[in-house]
Amino acid sequence: MKADEVLTAHHDVLRGLLRDLAETTDAETERRRQLRDELLRQLEIHTQIEDELFYPAVRNVSPLLSLAHAEHRQIDDQLATVMRMAVDDPEFVPEVRMLEKTLRHHTMEEEQRMFPHSHALGEDRLEELGEQLRARQHELARSGGMRLIIRLKRATLRLTPTAGPS
Amino acid sequence: MSVRTLLERAVGTVERWQVLDAPGYQVEHAISLTFLLSGRYARRLQDVLHGVWLGHPLHPFLVAVPIGSWGAAAVLDGLDAAGRGGPGTGQAARAVIRLGVAGAVASAATGLTDWQHAHDEARRVGLVHGTLNGTALALYTWSLADRTRGRATRARLTAAAGYAVVLASGYLGGVLSYRHRLGVDHSESRRDPRRFTPVAEVADLTEGRPVGVYVDGVPLVLVATGGEVRAVGGRCPHLGGPLGEGWLHRGELVCPWHGSRFHLDTGEPAQGPSTAPLPCYDTRIHDGRVEVRRRARWRTPTATTAVEEASR
Repeated sequence: MKADEVLTAHHDVLRGLLRDLAETTDAETERRRQLRDELLRQLEIHTQIEDELFYPAVRNVSPLLSLAHAEHRQIDDQLATVMRMAVDDPEFVPEVRMLEKTLRHHTMEEEQRMFPHSHALGEDRLEELGEQLRARQHELARSGGMRLIIRLKRATLRLTPTAGPS
Repeated sequence: MSVRTLLERAVGTVERWQVLDAPGYQVEHAISLTFLLSGRYARRLQDVLHGVWLGHPLHPFLVAVPIGSWGAAAVLDGLDAAGRGGPGTGQAARAVIRLGVAGAVASAATGLTDWQHAHDEARRVGLVHGTLNGTALALYTWSLADRTRGRATRARLTAAAGYAVVLASGYLGGVLSYRHRLGVDHSESRRDPRRFTPVAEVADLTEGRPVGVYVDGVPLVLVATGGEVRAVGGRCPHLGGPLGEGWLHRGELVCPWHGSRFHLDTGEPAQGPSTAPLPCYDTRIHDGRVEVRRRARWRTPTATTAVEEASR
Protein backbone atom coordinates (compact mmCIF):
# COMPACT_ATOMS: atom_id res chain seq x y z
CA MET A 1 0.00 0.00 0.00
CA LYS A 2 1.16 3.50 -0.79
CA ALA A 3 1.59 6.06 1.97
CA ASP A 4 -1.52 8.06 1.07
CA GLU A 5 -3.61 4.89 0.99
CA VAL A 6 -2.40 3.82 4.43
CA LEU A 7 -3.26 7.23 5.86
CA THR A 8 -6.64 7.42 4.11
CA ALA A 9 -7.53 4.00 5.52
CA HIS A 10 -6.64 5.25 8.99
CA HIS A 11 -8.67 8.43 8.39
CA ASP A 12 -11.64 6.13 7.69
CA VAL A 13 -11.13 4.46 11.07
CA LEU A 14 -11.07 7.85 12.81
CA ARG A 15 -14.11 9.17 10.95
CA GLY A 16 -15.97 5.94 11.73
CA LEU A 17 -15.17 6.18 15.44
CA LEU A 18 -16.37 9.78 15.58
CA ARG A 19 -19.56 8.95 13.72
CA ASP A 20 -20.28 6.07 16.11
CA LEU A 21 -19.50 8.25 19.12
CA ALA A 22 -21.78 11.04 17.90
CA GLU A 23 -24.61 8.54 17.41
CA THR A 24 -24.54 7.18 20.97
CA THR A 25 -27.24 8.24 23.40
CA ASP A 26 -26.67 9.84 26.81
CA ALA A 27 -27.66 6.51 28.43
CA GLU A 28 -24.91 4.47 26.69
CA THR A 29 -22.20 5.69 29.03
CA GLU A 30 -20.02 2.59 28.91
CA ARG A 31 -19.99 2.43 25.12
CA ARG A 32 -19.23 6.16 25.01
CA ARG A 33 -16.31 5.72 27.35
CA GLN A 34 -14.93 2.84 25.27
CA LEU A 35 -15.30 4.63 21.95
CA ARG A 36 -13.76 7.77 23.37
CA ASP A 37 -10.74 5.90 24.72
CA GLU A 38 -10.29 4.14 21.40
CA LEU A 39 -10.52 7.49 19.61
CA LEU A 40 -7.83 8.98 21.86
CA ARG A 41 -5.62 5.98 21.15
CA GLN A 42 -6.07 6.04 17.38
CA LEU A 43 -5.63 9.82 17.17
CA GLU A 44 -2.44 9.61 19.18
CA ILE A 45 -1.08 6.92 16.85
CA HIS A 46 -2.18 8.83 13.78
CA THR A 47 -0.55 12.10 14.85
CA GLN A 48 2.62 10.29 15.72
CA ILE A 49 3.05 8.40 12.44
CA GLU A 50 2.30 11.54 10.44
CA ASP A 51 4.68 13.71 12.48
CA GLU A 52 7.42 11.08 12.53
CA LEU A 53 7.33 9.74 9.00
CA PHE A 54 4.92 11.34 6.58
CA TYR A 55 5.38 15.09 7.16
CA PRO A 56 9.20 14.99 7.09
CA ALA A 57 8.99 13.01 3.84
CA VAL A 58 6.70 15.51 2.07
CA ARG A 59 8.15 18.74 3.46
CA ASN A 60 9.80 19.60 0.17
CA VAL A 61 6.88 18.73 -2.08
CA SER A 62 3.94 20.19 -0.16
CA PRO A 63 3.53 23.70 1.28
CA LEU A 64 0.75 22.52 3.59
CA LEU A 65 2.77 21.22 6.55
CA SER A 66 2.16 24.23 8.76
CA LEU A 67 -1.55 24.01 8.15
CA ALA A 68 -1.55 20.31 8.91
CA HIS A 69 0.20 21.05 12.21
CA ALA A 70 -2.28 23.83 13.00
CA GLU A 71 -5.15 21.44 12.36
CA HIS A 72 -3.63 18.72 14.52
CA ARG A 73 -3.43 21.30 17.27
CA GLN A 74 -7.11 22.17 16.86
CA ILE A 75 -8.05 18.50 16.94
CA ASP A 76 -5.93 18.02 20.06
CA ASP A 77 -7.54 20.96 21.86
CA GLN A 78 -11.05 19.83 21.00
CA LEU A 79 -10.24 16.24 21.95
CA ALA A 80 -9.15 17.57 25.35
CA THR A 81 -12.56 19.21 25.73
CA VAL A 82 -14.30 15.94 24.89
CA MET A 83 -12.03 13.90 27.19
CA ARG A 84 -12.74 16.15 30.15
CA MET A 85 -16.53 15.93 29.83
CA ALA A 86 -18.72 13.61 31.82
CA VAL A 87 -19.96 10.95 29.36
CA ASP A 88 -23.60 11.67 30.22
CA ASP A 89 -23.24 15.43 29.79
CA PRO A 90 -26.00 16.76 27.48
CA GLU A 91 -23.28 18.81 25.75
CA PHE A 92 -21.27 15.70 24.95
CA VAL A 93 -22.67 15.12 21.46
CA PRO A 94 -22.36 18.78 20.29
CA GLU A 95 -18.69 18.76 21.37
CA VAL A 96 -18.10 15.43 19.60
CA ARG A 97 -19.70 16.88 16.48
CA MET A 98 -17.33 19.83 16.72
CA LEU A 99 -14.41 17.40 16.90
CA GLU A 100 -15.83 15.46 13.96
CA LYS A 101 -16.02 18.60 11.80
CA THR A 102 -12.49 19.62 12.78
CA LEU A 103 -11.17 16.19 11.87
CA ARG A 104 -13.17 16.05 8.65
CA HIS A 105 -11.66 19.31 7.49
CA HIS A 106 -8.17 18.12 8.28
CA THR A 107 -8.58 14.77 6.50
CA MET A 108 -10.16 16.54 3.51
CA GLU A 109 -7.19 18.92 3.36
CA GLU A 110 -4.78 16.00 3.34
CA GLU A 111 -6.67 13.71 0.99
CA GLN A 112 -7.59 16.35 -1.58
CA ARG A 113 -4.55 18.63 -1.40
CA MET A 114 -1.54 17.24 0.41
CA PHE A 115 -1.69 13.65 -0.88
CA PRO A 116 -1.77 14.78 -4.54
CA HIS A 117 1.35 16.85 -3.74
CA SER A 118 2.97 13.75 -2.25
CA HIS A 119 2.72 11.95 -5.60
CA ALA A 120 5.73 14.00 -6.66
CA LEU A 121 7.79 11.61 -4.52
CA GLY A 122 7.19 8.83 -7.03
CA GLU A 123 5.49 5.43 -6.78
CA ASP A 124 8.44 3.58 -5.27
CA ARG A 125 9.08 6.07 -2.50
CA LEU A 126 5.36 6.18 -1.65
CA GLU A 127 5.21 2.39 -1.47
CA GLU A 128 8.25 2.30 0.78
CA LEU A 129 6.84 5.08 2.96
CA GLY A 130 3.50 3.28 3.11
CA GLU A 131 5.21 0.17 4.45
CA GLN A 132 7.05 2.23 7.08
CA LEU A 133 3.82 3.94 8.14
CA ARG A 134 1.99 0.64 8.44
CA ALA A 135 4.78 -1.01 10.37
CA ARG A 136 5.04 1.93 12.78
CA GLN A 137 1.26 2.06 13.18
CA HIS A 138 1.16 -1.61 14.19
CA GLU A 139 4.16 -1.21 16.43
CA LEU A 140 2.57 1.76 18.24
CA ALA A 141 -0.74 -0.06 18.59
CA ARG A 142 1.06 -2.75 20.60
CA SER A 143 3.63 -0.57 22.31
CA GLY A 144 3.66 -0.32 26.09
CA GLY A 145 5.14 3.18 25.90
CA MET A 146 2.20 4.35 23.84
CA ARG A 147 -0.25 2.84 26.33
CA LEU A 148 1.53 4.68 29.12
CA ILE A 149 1.41 8.00 27.27
CA ILE A 150 -2.31 7.56 26.65
CA ARG A 151 -3.00 6.70 30.28
CA LEU A 152 -0.99 9.68 31.46
CA LYS A 153 -2.79 11.96 29.05
CA ARG A 154 -6.19 10.68 30.14
CA ALA A 155 -5.34 11.03 33.81
CA THR A 156 -3.93 14.53 33.34
CA LEU A 157 -6.98 15.69 31.45
CA ARG A 158 -9.24 14.41 34.22
CA LEU A 159 -7.20 16.13 36.90
CA THR A 160 -7.24 19.57 35.31
CA PRO A 161 -10.26 21.83 35.86
CA THR A 162 -13.20 20.31 34.02
CA ALA A 163 -14.39 21.92 30.84
CA GLY A 164 -17.65 23.72 30.76
CA PRO A 165 -19.07 24.55 27.35
CA SER A 166 -16.21 26.12 25.42
CA MET B 1 26.31 46.84 0.43
CA SER B 2 23.45 48.93 1.79
CA VAL B 3 21.92 48.49 5.24
CA ARG B 4 18.73 47.38 3.55
CA THR B 5 20.40 44.56 1.63
CA LEU B 6 22.31 43.39 4.68
CA LEU B 7 19.20 43.21 6.82
CA GLU B 8 17.27 41.59 4.00
CA ARG B 9 19.90 38.86 3.75
CA ALA B 10 19.99 38.29 7.48
CA VAL B 11 16.22 37.99 7.73
CA GLY B 12 16.08 35.79 4.62
CA THR B 13 18.58 33.41 6.23
CA VAL B 14 16.41 33.06 9.32
CA GLU B 15 13.25 32.62 7.22
CA ARG B 16 14.75 29.73 5.27
CA TRP B 17 16.38 28.07 8.27
CA GLN B 18 14.42 24.82 8.38
CA VAL B 19 16.54 23.54 11.27
CA LEU B 20 14.40 25.77 13.49
CA ASP B 21 11.22 23.84 12.70
CA ALA B 22 11.82 20.87 14.99
CA PRO B 23 12.63 22.95 18.12
CA GLY B 24 9.78 25.28 17.10
CA TYR B 25 7.26 22.48 17.29
CA GLN B 26 8.74 21.32 20.60
CA VAL B 27 8.19 24.80 22.04
CA GLU B 28 4.66 24.83 20.67
CA HIS B 29 3.93 21.47 22.29
CA ALA B 30 5.14 22.86 25.60
CA ILE B 31 2.87 25.90 25.25
CA SER B 32 -0.01 23.64 24.27
CA LEU B 33 0.58 21.47 27.33
CA THR B 34 0.70 24.51 29.61
CA PHE B 35 -2.67 25.68 28.36
CA LEU B 36 -4.05 22.14 28.51
CA LEU B 37 -3.18 22.03 32.19
CA SER B 38 -5.16 25.18 32.85
CA GLY B 39 -8.24 23.15 31.89
CA ARG B 40 -11.38 25.06 31.15
CA TYR B 41 -9.65 28.39 31.70
CA ALA B 42 -7.31 27.66 28.78
CA ARG B 43 -9.50 29.36 26.20
CA ARG B 44 -10.23 32.47 28.20
CA LEU B 45 -6.60 32.80 29.20
CA GLN B 46 -5.46 32.59 25.59
CA ASP B 47 -8.10 35.09 24.49
CA VAL B 48 -6.91 37.58 27.13
CA LEU B 49 -3.30 37.12 26.02
CA HIS B 50 -4.15 37.39 22.30
CA GLY B 51 -6.06 40.62 22.99
CA VAL B 52 -9.53 39.53 21.82
CA TRP B 53 -10.97 41.92 24.44
CA LEU B 54 -8.80 44.75 23.10
CA GLY B 55 -9.68 44.44 19.42
CA HIS B 56 -6.06 44.07 18.32
CA PRO B 57 -3.07 42.09 19.58
CA LEU B 58 -2.02 42.82 23.17
CA HIS B 59 1.65 41.99 22.55
CA PRO B 60 2.79 45.19 20.74
CA PHE B 61 1.08 47.22 23.47
CA LEU B 62 3.07 45.50 26.24
CA VAL B 63 6.49 45.51 24.57
CA ALA B 64 6.63 49.28 25.04
CA VAL B 65 7.17 48.61 28.76
CA PRO B 66 10.54 46.75 28.59
CA ILE B 67 11.82 48.78 25.63
CA GLY B 68 10.96 52.07 27.34
CA SER B 69 12.16 51.09 30.81
CA TRP B 70 15.42 49.61 29.59
CA GLY B 71 15.98 52.65 27.39
CA ALA B 72 15.62 54.83 30.48
CA ALA B 73 18.07 52.54 32.31
CA ALA B 74 20.61 53.05 29.49
CA VAL B 75 20.36 56.84 29.96
CA LEU B 76 20.77 56.57 33.74
CA ASP B 77 23.72 54.16 33.39
CA GLY B 78 25.28 56.53 30.87
CA LEU B 79 25.02 59.44 33.30
CA ASP B 80 26.61 57.37 36.07
CA ALA B 81 29.39 56.12 33.80
CA ALA B 82 30.15 59.70 32.76
CA GLY B 83 30.31 60.69 36.41
CA ARG B 84 27.36 63.02 36.02
CA GLY B 85 24.82 60.95 37.92
CA GLY B 86 23.19 62.16 41.11
CA PRO B 87 22.77 60.30 44.42
CA GLY B 88 19.57 58.55 43.23
CA THR B 89 20.65 57.58 39.70
CA GLY B 90 21.73 54.04 40.56
CA GLN B 91 18.57 53.35 42.49
CA ALA B 92 16.42 54.73 39.67
CA ALA B 93 18.24 52.50 37.15
CA ARG B 94 17.51 49.45 39.30
CA ALA B 95 13.84 50.40 39.54
CA VAL B 96 13.36 50.83 35.78
CA ILE B 97 15.24 47.62 34.99
CA ARG B 98 12.91 45.77 37.37
CA LEU B 99 9.89 47.31 35.67
CA GLY B 100 11.36 46.25 32.33
CA VAL B 101 11.82 42.68 33.55
CA ALA B 102 8.17 42.51 34.62
CA GLY B 103 7.07 43.96 31.28
CA ALA B 104 9.29 41.49 29.42
CA VAL B 105 7.70 38.53 31.18
CA ALA B 106 4.21 39.80 30.27
CA SER B 107 5.35 40.43 26.70
CA ALA B 108 6.74 36.90 26.49
CA ALA B 109 3.42 35.42 27.62
CA THR B 110 1.46 37.34 24.97
CA GLY B 111 4.12 36.82 22.32
CA LEU B 112 4.28 33.05 22.79
CA THR B 113 0.49 32.82 22.69
CA ASP B 114 0.39 34.66 19.36
CA TRP B 115 3.45 32.87 17.97
CA GLN B 116 2.08 29.34 18.50
CA HIS B 117 -0.20 29.81 15.48
CA ALA B 118 2.40 31.31 13.11
CA HIS B 119 3.39 29.39 10.00
CA ASP B 120 6.66 28.61 8.22
CA GLU B 121 8.88 31.69 7.75
CA ALA B 122 7.06 33.76 10.36
CA ARG B 123 7.36 30.90 12.85
CA ARG B 124 11.15 30.74 12.34
CA VAL B 125 11.59 34.51 12.63
CA GLY B 126 9.37 34.47 15.71
CA LEU B 127 11.46 31.77 17.33
CA VAL B 128 14.64 33.81 16.86
CA HIS B 129 12.84 36.95 18.07
CA GLY B 130 11.74 35.14 21.22
CA THR B 131 15.18 33.62 21.82
CA LEU B 132 16.82 37.05 21.56
CA ASN B 133 14.30 38.51 23.99
CA GLY B 134 14.94 35.65 26.38
CA THR B 135 18.66 36.44 26.14
CA ALA B 136 18.01 40.12 26.87
CA LEU B 137 15.85 39.20 29.84
CA ALA B 138 18.65 37.00 31.19
CA LEU B 139 21.22 39.76 30.71
CA TYR B 140 19.09 42.29 32.60
CA THR B 141 18.41 39.83 35.40
CA TRP B 142 22.15 39.26 35.69
CA SER B 143 22.72 43.01 35.62
CA LEU B 144 20.26 43.48 38.49
CA ALA B 145 22.06 40.82 40.52
CA ASP B 146 25.39 42.55 39.88
CA ARG B 147 23.96 45.87 41.00
CA THR B 148 23.03 44.49 44.40
CA ARG B 149 26.52 42.91 44.63
CA GLY B 150 28.04 46.30 43.92
CA ARG B 151 29.70 45.31 40.63
CA ALA B 152 28.63 48.53 38.95
CA THR B 153 30.76 48.44 35.80
CA ARG B 154 29.93 44.88 34.84
CA ALA B 155 26.25 45.58 35.61
CA ARG B 156 26.27 48.53 33.20
CA LEU B 157 28.00 46.48 30.51
CA THR B 158 25.52 43.60 30.69
CA ALA B 159 22.64 46.08 30.59
CA ALA B 160 24.15 47.74 27.51
CA ALA B 161 24.53 44.34 25.84
CA GLY B 162 20.92 43.55 26.77
CA TYR B 163 19.76 46.76 25.17
CA ALA B 164 21.60 45.97 21.93
CA VAL B 165 19.94 42.54 21.84
CA VAL B 166 16.51 44.10 22.48
CA LEU B 167 16.96 46.51 19.59
CA ALA B 168 17.93 43.70 17.20
CA SER B 169 14.99 41.67 18.40
CA GLY B 170 12.66 44.64 18.04
CA TYR B 171 13.70 44.82 14.40
CA LEU B 172 12.59 41.19 13.98
CA GLY B 173 9.33 42.03 15.74
CA GLY B 174 8.79 44.65 13.05
CA VAL B 175 9.55 42.04 10.38
CA LEU B 176 6.85 39.83 11.91
CA SER B 177 4.15 42.46 11.70
CA TYR B 178 5.10 44.50 8.64
CA ARG B 179 6.41 41.74 6.43
CA HIS B 180 4.66 38.60 7.66
CA ARG B 181 1.56 40.49 8.73
CA LEU B 182 1.18 38.67 12.05
CA GLY B 183 -1.50 40.36 14.10
CA VAL B 184 -2.70 42.39 11.13
CA ASP B 185 -6.38 42.16 10.16
CA HIS B 186 -6.51 39.86 7.11
CA SER B 187 -10.23 40.21 6.47
CA GLU B 188 -11.62 41.87 3.38
CA SER B 189 -11.43 45.64 3.59
CA ARG B 190 -13.35 46.62 0.46
CA ARG B 191 -16.71 48.24 1.02
CA ASP B 192 -18.25 46.42 -1.93
CA PRO B 193 -20.84 45.50 -2.97
CA ARG B 194 -22.66 48.74 -2.16
CA ARG B 195 -25.87 47.72 -3.87
CA PHE B 196 -27.69 44.43 -3.31
CA THR B 197 -26.02 41.87 -5.57
CA PRO B 198 -27.21 38.29 -6.12
CA VAL B 199 -24.66 35.71 -4.95
CA ALA B 200 -26.47 32.37 -4.69
CA GLU B 201 -29.72 30.49 -5.20
CA VAL B 202 -31.70 30.04 -1.98
CA ALA B 203 -32.20 26.40 -3.01
CA ASP B 204 -28.43 25.84 -2.85
CA LEU B 205 -28.26 26.62 0.88
CA THR B 206 -28.62 24.01 3.62
CA GLU B 207 -29.73 25.03 7.10
CA GLY B 208 -26.74 25.42 9.40
CA ARG B 209 -24.08 24.76 6.78
CA PRO B 210 -21.74 27.59 5.74
CA VAL B 211 -21.31 28.09 2.01
CA GLY B 212 -18.44 30.04 0.47
CA VAL B 213 -19.30 32.36 -2.43
CA TYR B 214 -17.52 35.13 -4.30
CA VAL B 215 -18.87 38.54 -5.21
CA ASP B 216 -16.60 40.71 -7.40
CA GLY B 217 -13.68 38.54 -6.33
CA VAL B 218 -14.44 39.06 -2.62
CA PRO B 219 -14.91 35.83 -0.63
CA LEU B 220 -18.07 35.67 1.50
CA VAL B 221 -19.72 33.04 3.67
CA LEU B 222 -23.48 32.52 3.61
CA VAL B 223 -25.21 30.67 6.43
CA ALA B 224 -28.89 29.79 6.43
CA THR B 225 -29.96 29.68 10.05
CA GLY B 226 -33.37 29.92 11.66
CA GLY B 227 -35.12 30.90 8.44
CA GLU B 228 -32.67 33.74 7.78
CA VAL B 229 -29.56 34.02 5.68
CA ARG B 230 -26.51 35.62 7.30
CA ALA B 231 -23.52 36.80 5.30
CA VAL B 232 -20.04 37.56 6.65
CA GLY B 233 -16.55 37.88 5.19
CA GLY B 234 -14.96 34.68 3.92
CA ARG B 235 -11.39 35.36 5.04
CA CYS B 236 -10.42 34.97 8.68
CA PRO B 237 -9.01 38.23 10.12
CA HIS B 238 -6.34 36.22 11.98
CA LEU B 239 -4.30 34.75 9.12
CA GLY B 240 -6.73 34.65 6.22
CA GLY B 241 -8.12 31.12 6.74
CA PRO B 242 -10.88 30.09 4.31
CA LEU B 243 -14.08 30.48 6.37
CA GLY B 244 -16.13 29.05 3.49
CA GLU B 245 -14.58 25.70 4.54
CA GLY B 246 -15.52 26.37 8.16
CA TRP B 247 -18.47 25.05 10.15
CA LEU B 248 -20.94 26.09 12.83
CA HIS B 249 -20.55 25.28 16.52
CA ARG B 250 -23.13 26.63 18.96
CA GLY B 251 -24.28 29.02 16.23
CA GLU B 252 -20.78 30.47 15.77
CA LEU B 253 -18.69 30.22 12.62
CA VAL B 254 -15.43 28.32 13.22
CA CYS B 255 -12.25 28.94 11.21
CA PRO B 256 -10.82 25.63 9.96
CA TRP B 257 -7.20 26.74 10.45
CA HIS B 258 -6.77 27.93 14.05
CA GLY B 259 -10.26 27.66 15.49
CA SER B 260 -11.26 31.33 15.81
CA ARG B 261 -15.03 31.57 16.32
CA PHE B 262 -17.27 34.40 15.15
CA HIS B 263 -20.77 35.63 15.96
CA LEU B 264 -22.76 35.56 12.74
CA ASP B 265 -24.90 38.61 13.48
CA THR B 266 -22.12 41.01 14.48
CA GLY B 267 -18.99 39.39 13.02
CA GLU B 268 -17.27 39.87 16.41
CA PRO B 269 -14.82 37.15 17.48
CA ALA B 270 -16.33 34.89 20.16
CA GLN B 271 -12.97 33.18 20.59
CA GLY B 272 -9.43 33.93 19.43
CA PRO B 273 -6.80 33.80 18.03
CA SER B 274 -8.58 36.38 15.85
CA THR B 275 -8.78 39.72 17.64
CA ALA B 276 -10.58 41.54 14.82
CA PRO B 277 -14.20 41.17 13.68
CA LEU B 278 -15.41 39.85 10.34
CA PRO B 279 -17.08 42.24 7.93
CA CYS B 280 -20.85 41.76 7.79
CA TYR B 281 -23.23 42.01 4.87
CA ASP B 282 -26.94 42.81 4.72
CA THR B 283 -28.92 40.10 2.99
CA ARG B 284 -32.28 39.83 1.31
CA ILE B 285 -34.07 37.19 -0.73
CA HIS B 286 -35.19 38.30 -4.16
CA ASP B 287 -36.64 35.99 -6.83
CA GLY B 288 -35.34 32.90 -5.06
CA ARG B 289 -31.85 34.33 -4.91
CA VAL B 290 -29.77 35.59 -2.02
CA GLU B 291 -28.58 39.17 -2.47
CA VAL B 292 -25.95 40.84 -0.31
CA ARG B 293 -24.73 44.36 0.39
CA ARG B 294 -21.83 45.42 2.57
CA ARG B 295 -23.18 46.60 5.91
CA ALA B 296 -22.14 50.00 7.16
CA ARG B 297 -20.23 49.69 10.43
CA TRP B 298 -19.43 51.96 13.27
CA ARG B 299 -15.81 51.29 12.63
CA THR B 300 -14.06 52.24 9.44
CA PRO B 301 -13.36 49.13 7.40
CA THR B 302 -9.75 48.40 8.17
CA ALA B 303 -6.87 49.23 5.89
CA THR B 304 -8.95 51.35 3.53
CA THR B 305 -8.51 55.07 3.83
CA ALA B 306 -10.84 57.63 2.34
CA VAL B 307 -8.15 58.43 -0.25
CA GLU B 308 -7.84 54.81 -1.39
CA GLU B 309 -11.58 54.58 -1.47
CA ALA B 310 -11.90 57.67 -3.69
CA SER B 311 -9.22 56.50 -6.11
CA ARG B 312 -11.02 53.25 -6.91
